[in-house]
Amino acid sequence: MARRYDSRTTIFSPEGRLYQIEYAMEAISHAGTVLGVLATDGVVLAAEKKVTGKLLDLSVAKEGGYGGSGEKIFLLNTNVIAGVAGLTADANSLINYARSAAQRHLFSYNEDIPVEQLAQRLCDLKQGYTQFGGLRPFGVSLLYAGWDPHYQFQLYHSDPSGNYSGWKATCIGANNGTAQSLLKQEYKDTVSLEDAIGLVLRTMSKTMDSTSLSSEKLEFATLTVDPETKRPQAKIYRPAEVDALLAKHGLAKTEDTESNEMLSRDGRLVMR
Amino acid sequence: MNTFVSRFAPSSSVIPQYRGALAGDDDDEFSDLTWGSQAGFGNIGAKGIPSFEVPNLPDPSAFLRMHTDDYADPNCRIKIQHGTTTLAFRFKGGIIVAVDSRATAGSYIASGTVKKVIEINPYLLGTMAGGAADCQYWETYLGIQCRLHELRNRERISVAAASKYLSNLVYSYKGMGLSMGTMICGWDKTGPALFYVDSDGTRLKGDIFSVGSGSTYAYGVLDQSYSWDLSDADAQELGRRSIYAAGHRDAYSGNTINLYHVKEQGWEFIGNYDVTKMHYDGPGNVPGATGGGYGYDVRTAGRSASDADAIDTSA
Amino acid sequence: MAECSFGLIGKGYVILASDTTAGRSIVKMKEDEDKIKALGPNLIMATGGEPGDTIQFAEYVERNLRLYHIRHNHTLRPSSAAAWIRRTLADSLRSRNPYSVNLILGGYDHTTSTPNLYWIDYLGTMVDVPFAAHGYGAYFALSTLDRYHDPEAPLEEGLETLRKCVREVEKRLIVSLGKFKVKIIDRNGMREIDL
Repeated sequence: MARRYDSRTTIFSPEGRLYQIEYAMEAISHAGTVLGVLATDGVVLAAEKKVTGKLLDLSVAKEGGYGGSGEKIFLLNTNVIAGVAGLTADANSLINYARSAAQRHLFSYNEDIPVEQLAQRLCDLKQGYTQFGGLRPFGVSLLYAGWDPHYQFQLYHSDPSGNYSGWKATCIGANNGTAQSLLKQEYKDTVSLEDAIGLVLRTMSKTMDSTSLSSEKLEFATLTVDPETKRPQAKIYRPAEVDALLAKHGLAKTEDTESNEMLSRDGRLVMR
Repeated sequence: MNTFVSRFAPSSSVIPQYRGALAGDDDDEFSDLTWGSQAGFGNIGAKGIPSFEVPNLPDPSAFLRMHTDDYADPNCRIKIQHGTTTLAFRFKGGIIVAVDSRATAGSYIASGTVKKVIEINPYLLGTMAGGAADCQYWETYLGIQCRLHELRNRERISVAAASKYLSNLVYSYKGMGLSMGTMICGWDKTGPALFYVDSDGTRLKGDIFSVGSGSTYAYGVLDQSYSWDLSDADAQELGRRSIYAAGHRDAYSGNTINLYHVKEQGWEFIGNYDVTKMHYDGPGNVPGATGGGYGYDVRTAGRSASDADAIDTSA
Repeated sequence: MAECSFGLIGKGYVILASDTTAGRSIVKMKEDEDKIKALGPNLIMATGGEPGDTIQFAEYVERNLRLYHIRHNHTLRPSSAAAWIRRTLADSLRSRNPYSVNLILGGYDHTTSTPNLYWIDYLGTMVDVPFAAHGYGAYFALSTLDRYHDPEAPLEEGLETLRKCVREVEKRLIVSLGKFKVKIIDRNGMREIDL
């Protein structure tokens, strides 16, 4: 039965479902985990990298750019960073669109685009692909971490259907259910950036499939406000900085016993 | 400016009248265009107002305008100094005369050290706005006539008479391209006296005048704290500040300020002040100076319109 | 046309003042014309320039800012509104029939608790200023404001500075501009007062 409807993005099934959208979301739930936590004085974003290996050339990531290896976490604008889960190629297209949208806003209003508006822009685009024929939806979910003068620090999530919502802490990609229930238990409204970083790293180490955490598998970023200039400041950690951070939190590679213990997941919670 | 003047200049049909009169005796220093009255000039002034050689053309003023009107033609060969700020005001302590020192030719600053106060004699000052050469020449000429008056009549010429002489003189050249806006300041039997005279032939007696492209800015400061009962120091400071204001806002005025004070015993040169220095540091330790720079940013440095602190306490 | 508007900021407020004369040729058509438009709860704009263009442009801006408010659930900050208006004028200048409108924009920015004032002309020039003037009044009042304006002045002192400017224009400008309409913006919104 489903065969007749699921190849068309723009056609509802008799049960009122858009299969292609659901398949896209399914694809995302196998993608590398992305986790975001909103703190009182910043936002934290972490992402699990899936494309790894000794032969992968990471020299560009190590040397130039604004930090990160450019696979999962991107700088969209001065005041917004995003973590993506899903098809990397689709994500690249969306990132490019988002950056252009942010620049267009700057051009018109001479201000950084408000975070929610940027999420909205992308969702308008994504939604279009759920309606117009012959097109495949974007197989990407994003977490947006940003700051604007209207609502200060914000964290948003958008999915392939074009839905978006604001969160205090959330997770997309593989094992997002586990991560979300962990976050639900541990999150407090008064969490500081410092504690949020710890929370994110701990949660990541528990949800990721790999036995150890390192810059090879993890991307990490924070968004804060410079106390001097009062301007938002995005920091996407370089590989060496990620490793240093992991070491500081006792989650680095070398500590085998401890991390193994943490990674032994007892009873995976399945949401929905 | 010239186009503005030309709008109010007499129609060209009037002009040949002058020329007709002048063309007859090209070699004579004085033309037939004499005034009926000799008005106390004795036999020396028998020929009345002197005349110039003018271009031998049907319409000399049109010819002059063609070569000097940089507004209509920026490539004109002769550029006349137009921008300036001068002011003078009467108060109980005499007259304050303050001027800037910038000379411009089009957008070019031709000089920053022009003396725009013309010291006609120890009791009379004239200011310079409009054509620098016109002012310089005719006010020097006025000085000669004032001295002759003194020699003939054994007393100094009144400011009213001196200014009237200049006014009549320039009026006789009306429509021929003279450009002057001047203030004749002095102290005579009647006390401090101030007259505005321009090349249109206007002559006004008054307490406060400012002339030139920066005059509106000077007025903007001058009017606000002028009073007849100003002290000498405060009056001098007001003159400085007013010219500073114009030097700051008007591109055609600036560089330095020359300040004079006309007193009963004659005028006194108070000083020369650099506008940029006044902006950042003030005029220095001079009477009336309040200390600190005059510049807006200097004066209000560190002051903020934000009321973020105010709400925190009220909340 | 002899039109004149002023704007100045003080401690937590912006004052805008504009003449109220609407004239055509040598005729005074109206002497209580309101040339200051409220663009939102915390934003006002004094316009001047080509008759017709002024009102059309002011209303165009007003509706667009309202649309933004509805779409995004918050108003544009004064700085962003000013940037948008400037851009609109700059684009208009390069169109077939440009708006010939000069304006002064005043607003209170709640996100920074700061009053803002912008001087914008029909060419799309925009300056963020502590005080502003358009028209012939600028020639007389700018030096007065250079001398007396204080960004920390309480409201009554700010109004007194404005009175100085209006008095100067009444004294020295050869044409009479009639009465001035005065509006104030602060954290509580907009209100009109008699000078």
